[in-house]
Amino acid sequence: MSDSHSDDHHGHIQLEYHPALPLSLGKLCLWLFLSTEIMFFAGLIGAYVVLRFGAPTGSWPTPHDVYLSEPIGAFNTFVLICSSLSIVLSLEAARKNQSGSAKKWLLTTFVLGCVFLGVKAYEYKEKFAHGIFPTKEGRRLYDQPDVYYVSALKVRLENLKSELSDEQKEEEVLEGVTRVNFIDTMLTGGVAHAARTATNTENPIEAHAILESLAYAVQHHEVSDYQATRLRNEKSSIEGPLAKVEEDLKTKDARKTEISEKLKPPAEGEEGPSEEELRDMRVELGGLMQEVAKLEQDAKPLRERIAFLNLLLADDAHLLNHGIGHEMSSMKLPFVLPSGNMWASTYFLLTGFHALHVVVGLIIFALVLFSTLDARKSHYLENAGLYWHFVDLVWIFLFPLLYLF
Amino acid sequence: MSDPNTHPPAHDQHLHNDEELHATSGNTKYWVVFVALCMLTLCSFLTYFEWWDTAIPPHVSMAFMMAVSCGKALLVMLFFMHLLWEANWKWVLTVPAGMMAIFLACMLIPDIGMRTEKYSQSRWLHAPVPHVHADDAAALDHAPAAH
Repeated sequence: MSDSHSDDHHGHIQLEYHPALPLSLGKLCLWLFLSTEIMFFAGLIGAYVVLRFGAPTGSWPTPHDVYLSEPIGAFNTFVLICSSLSIVLSLEAARKNQSGSAKKWLLTTFVLGCVFLGVKAYEYKEKFAHGIFPTKEGRRLYDQPDVYYVSALKVRLENLKSELSDEQKEEEVLEGVTRVNFIDTMLTGGVAHAARTATNTENPIEAHAILESLAYAVQHHEVSDYQATRLRNEKSSIEGPLAKVEEDLKTKDARKTEISEKLKPPAEGEEGPSEEELRDMRVELGGLMQEVAKLEQDAKPLRERIAFLNLLLADDAHLLNHGIGHEMSSMKLPFVLPSGNMWASTYFLLTGFHALHVVVGLIIFALVLFSTLDARKSHYLENAGLYWHFVDLVWIFLFPLLYLF
Repeated sequence: MSDPNTHPPAHDQHLHNDEELHATSGNTKYWVVFVALCMLTLCSFLTYFEWWDTAIPPHVSMAFMMAVSCGKALLVMLFFMHLLWEANWKWVLTVPAGMMAIFLACMLIPDIGMRTEKYSQSRWLHAPVPHVHADDAAALDHAPAAH
């Protein structure tokens, strides 16, 4: 406002308009909106950064662990850079009243935006296929191999077993192993064994190592000879006691059979054992039956464990080194991925909001795609372009943070 | 959208000068910036290759990637968003927002970034366990095999 009131003519105040900022109102509003957007994404990206670098050392998933493809991310970055160029060229063409050219570049931007979303949808599909979802429901991720993980694995295997059709039960998943046998062996020699031994072990480090070994067999970060060696040693250490138990069982079974034969009523004309001998044999048989039952009880978990280890270590530990979850992906087994849940939450939040902004940008473009894009529309295109460049800016930071760090 | 015709002459004049200023150099500058952005993306993508990982320490690599990203962001803001040719109002809208953005991220550091420093022993039991490398695991576990 003019501060000079002394020169008023006949008492009228002369007002003079001075704009606070030398830019159009539409552009001002858009820049104010972008200011809030800067803070919005700074909060999200900042949260990701502090969560990622604040996680216990070495416990944040690498891009490889979560099925992120760096070349695909780089391609999407290239797509957005191309779209930034095309929208700015569209604006320049509109300013020069070259409507056809402006429309061509705007259409290019629109198509590139759709390509970006298509690639993003493909990436999401990959995550969903591996049990990585935006919400906790349906996720197969566990931060550590603990009792909750073992429980989830058990539930999944039992569900799988109950859902099998007769045909699927007999389907051969490994050489000489049917699907139902494999699930049974994994349930008994893998899951039940790990739960039992970890519970009975007083040393928490050993208990953790047992559960870690099971989680490794399902899915792992990197191939480790240590786990194969550990399981081979375990197998060797079990084979001795199991052989002894089997030998005892064989001896006692033979004696049982012998006594059972003697206890049969003698053939006509033959003299059977005396009453005293019969009583002693019955007592011995009773004792033998108890011992055999106990030996069977001892042998059962050892046999189950050996069967599971045989599956894992067969063919130069092929199944162990590749992971059951990888080799039999249709089983959709829960797996351990340290900080995986936190990663999934932040990844889907960041990329989801970014994709939402891309969708809004595409709507803004679609609104004028069939209009005459001359100089009169240049302000609309300028504001739409500013918004689109901001979307590109966000991705410029998301790409290295998510795909390359 | 605002109608430029509603602005007073002084404002229009400014806008006109502003647009004229960056219109003089044509579209070449945009193509040059585009090529520069592609080159910078290629630079950050170098970190994907194994030879880079073996040659460059991770922290240096991360700093490099962030520097490249900041460079790309600057190019987009200055040329594509025309901030290079805008008047001083650009500082009024971008600097406070930028500062607030930095504060927002920094404010998360004590409670979230440094959260593990305050973990109790029982809390650690439910914390994610780092990937155990073969050497570390072998050192940890000399106990007889479990059965």
